[in-house]
Amino acid sequence: MAPVDVSALGEFEQVVLLSILRLGDEAYAVSIRDELARCTGREVSRGSIYITLDRLETKGYLKSRLADPTPERGGRAKRYYTLRPRAVEALKDSRRALVALWRGLERVLGQA
Amino acid sequence: MTPGPPIVLRFFARFVPSDLREPITGDLTEEYLEMRDRRGPARATLWLWGQAARLALTFRWERAAHGRPLPPIGDELRSMSHMWDSLRQDIAFGVRMLRRQPGFTVVAVIALALGIGANTAIFSVVDAVLWRSLPYPGADEIVSIGEQRTREGRLSGPVSPADFFDWRREGRSFRAMAAYTETAVNLTGVGEPERLRGLSVSPGFLDVLGVHPAQGRDFRTEEETDGRDRVVLLTDAFWRRRFGADPAVVGRAVSFNGNPYEVIGILPAAFWWPTRPDMIVPLALDDHDRTLRAAHFLDVVARRRPDVPFSQAREELSLIGARLSSTYPEENTGHGPNLRPLRQALVGDMRTALLVLLGAVGLVLLIACANVATLLLARATSRQKELAVRMAVGGARIRLVQQLLTESLVLALAGGCAGLLLAAWGMAGLRHVLPAQFAALPGIDQLGVDTRVLLSSLVLSLLTGAVFGVAPALVASDQRVGATLSEETRGASGGAKGRRMRSALVVAELALSLVLLVGAGLLMVSFRNLTEVSPGFRPQQLVTTRLTLPYSRYADRPRAVAFYNAVFDRLRAVPGVDRVAATSAPPFSGLGGRLNLEIEHRSVESPLPVRAHPRIVSPDYFATMGVPLVRGRVFTDRDNADAPDVVVINEAAARSFWPGDDPIGDRISLGDPVRWMEIVGIVGDIRHEGLDAEANPEAYMPFQQGFVAFGTGLVRGMSLVVRTSADASAMAPIIRTAVAGVDDQQPVGLIRPMDALIAQSVAPRRLNLLLLSAFAIVAVVLTASGLYGVMAYLVTQRTREIGVRMALGASRASVLALMLRQAGAMTLTGIGVGLVGAYALARYLSSLLFGVSASDPTVYLAVSALLAAVAFAAIVIPSSRATRVDPLSALR
Repeated sequence: MAPVDVSALGEFEQVVLLSILRLGDEAYAVSIRDELARCTGREVSRGSIYITLDRLETKGYLKSRLADPTPERGGRAKRYYTLRPRAVEALKDSRRALVALWRGLERVLGQA
Repeated sequence: MTPGPPIVLRFFARFVPSDLREPITGDLTEEYLEMRDRRGPARATLWLWGQAARLALTFRWERAAHGRPLPPIGDELRSMSHMWDSLRQDIAFGVRMLRRQPGFTVVAVIALALGIGANTAIFSVVDAVLWRSLPYPGADEIVSIGEQRTREGRLSGPVSPADFFDWRREGRSFRAMAAYTETAVNLTGVGEPERLRGLSVSPGFLDVLGVHPAQGRDFRTEEETDGRDRVVLLTDAFWRRRFGADPAVVGRAVSFNGNPYEVIGILPAAFWWPTRPDMIVPLALDDHDRTLRAAHFLDVVARRRPDVPFSQAREELSLIGARLSSTYPEENTGHGPNLRPLRQALVGDMRTALLVLLGAVGLVLLIACANVATLLLARATSRQKELAVRMAVGGARIRLVQQLLTESLVLALAGGCAGLLLAAWGMAGLRHVLPAQFAALPGIDQLGVDTRVLLSSLVLSLLTGAVFGVAPALVASDQRVGATLSEETRGASGGAKGRRMRSALVVAELALSLVLLVGAGLLMVSFRNLTEVSPGFRPQQLVTTRLTLPYSRYADRPRAVAFYNAVFDRLRAVPGVDRVAATSAPPFSGLGGRLNLEIEHRSVESPLPVRAHPRIVSPDYFATMGVPLVRGRVFTDRDNADAPDVVVINEAAARSFWPGDDPIGDRISLGDPVRWMEIVGIVGDIRHEGLDAEANPEAYMPFQQGFVAFGTGLVRGMSLVVRTSADASAMAPIIRTAVAGVDDQQPVGLIRPMDALIAQSVAPRRLNLLLLSAFAIVAVVLTASGLYGVMAYLVTQRTREIGVRMALGASRASVLALMLRQAGAMTLTGIGVGLVGAYALARYLSSLLFGVSASDPTVYLAVSALLAAVAFAAIVIPSSRATRVDPLSALR
């Protein structure tokens, strides 16, 4: 097995990437934040979402496209995000590493 | 549906990276519109502003901290605090550096703690006494008015009643003016009889201070008149102590000296007056006393009108005084009112002493700064490689200076904390050793660490850190990078600049120490001179107490004389009592006025007014006090009312008014009306006003004979003096029993040993001397350690050179001489500069000196020698180490 770099993605970065995956075509900042809150119960500040998205895009994990402006948004466009293959790979690596680490710990940690 | 509020978003957009501007403002608008529908426009707008602000800050800090691309972070909060990160890093780094060198750190912190602690303690005293406003509303409007008597060289003395009433009637610049005197009464009828301290004040006294009774009322104008004055205001403390804070006391009567006084009110708890009275009664003068113009016994305070400046009030009052002088030339020629701010009158000559101490601790702090700066310089040298590397890899010089300064500030704050502890501890100690004269100073009872003191020591610490940190930081960061890195094995010396600065700092320490030593030395010589002064009598085994016989029972002289004689008889019968006498004004009591002196058939040529202090004494006074008889005779019991009037003068009077002549047999008269008394003897001088005051001309009169200027007053108020062969402290109950045996209604004042009174009179000087000496010692120790450190450092730096010299055949003695020459030059320069500085500053001390000139060469020489000796010791130890250098290992 190739060595797995668990730390390639920060914890928050993983959470954001997973939320985008779940949302499919509908992933933009507001929906990502809502999804994150729905799944993890965590209220995240808007700023950290934008900054993390920006960072993930710079690192080459995300690509984004600007949609057409809509009246509900005061005539402003939405920026939708989708994962690049690198991100999927990174998530897989991360999952593998975590699953490997989790294995055999059920008794120690209970049902969890 | 309207679009979202554009203003906030347009403003906000400036803080967002341009490619994110569109989607982010869009997102915000979307959520804003949704929220507006659900919760109304107000809530939504508020929400939008909050979100926009947070986002703007987030992006702003992200940019500032990391630029783009953005490194991984958890949330924006961490980056918000980035602003502090570099400071925190510097502090953490500084703390680490300080912990890595505990020896250096401890020495530096101790030096700073001594400097900052001493400054904090003395500052808090000076602040409380000289700077903080007195505890009265509009305190700067309150003035003290004394009577200036230029002919007697008196700047501000007590005031005569007639003058006071004229000032009060005519002064337009004042809202209120009041006279007061201290008083003491016997409280009877409630539990134990007790002697109370009080003030007799004319109505308006509380108006002057701006104080209103917490309960009840103030005095009324008519209560100033004799017979209507049986009312009293109690202080809060006394009311609580004696009456358990019972509000029903107001309106009741209490018994003072056996007379009923109605309690008309209670003063507020915050009421403060220097003498700490228990109660205040009206000052009621009878019709005769009101017209007295030559008898000065009142103190006067006034509150000027806020719209009248101090100078104008003073001018108006001196015009009134000038008019009074021309109307009553007999009594008032050369007299005039002297207006001073109340604080100045209360603090008096303590001011100089306090400011001298403040200056002294300032010098100590400067020395501590110089000391720590030399340590820092030496340390900077050992860190030179670290700094050079940092600069070589692109560290900005300003950033290095910032780092070094932060370290200094950390050090200074640590020193400040330790100093504050020292100060708190010192102040607690100081409170116990404060002489009685200090107790009356404003603010002294609240001395302690408070916000002002905390703030001042914080500011002081930061300033200190900046002062001792800047120079070393600049020197250390000023390096030719290449030179330092390549100098490596040669043992870099911090550059000529650093070396020069270290020498300059040590010279400065030496100079400042010398200034302090000269000050302490001058005070020490003064104190020794003072304690060697003979008071003119034998104070050991002598106790004194004041008796004030009430007019009601002792209106005429024979009754008063009979009372004293009866007390004498009772006391003489007690074993251990050797002699007993009475006097109207014992030495060191501060009592006594002066009267014009006339000599029969002769006018006296004298530049000074021809005046003498009248003293009424019982016949045995001179023997009891141990005052020597110089010529003639002293009084006997036969010098009674039926015998010719006689008088005994002191040597000062004989010297002043009968130069080269024999006064015995001449007749003199004191005051008005003329009443000739024959001089029968001359006695030795007594230092009546203090060991540091020359004896004044005095005229003693026997208490059985007539003396009329003050009626019977001088005989009713007398002090007992008792010489005992037993324990002086055991005399108190004996005297009380004897007095009570003659008149059980007669209260007895405080009974005090005479030598304690003398000790108290020099106590402020003693404290001054102790503090200044302590500061000088601290200064010398700091300087010596600084000198030691520099020399030890130089020896280390020059080990290689010394090794070479020794390898080439230099003797140990010549190596030692080499080191000493360099240190000796620094020491001599320091002492030289210090002598000049001390000479320039010592004149500020002159009012505190006694029997020694501020430029006394012996003192200067002695302290120079002392400092040179200490410096030599500090130099020779590290220098001798240089002679033990092994040439081989030094060269290797």
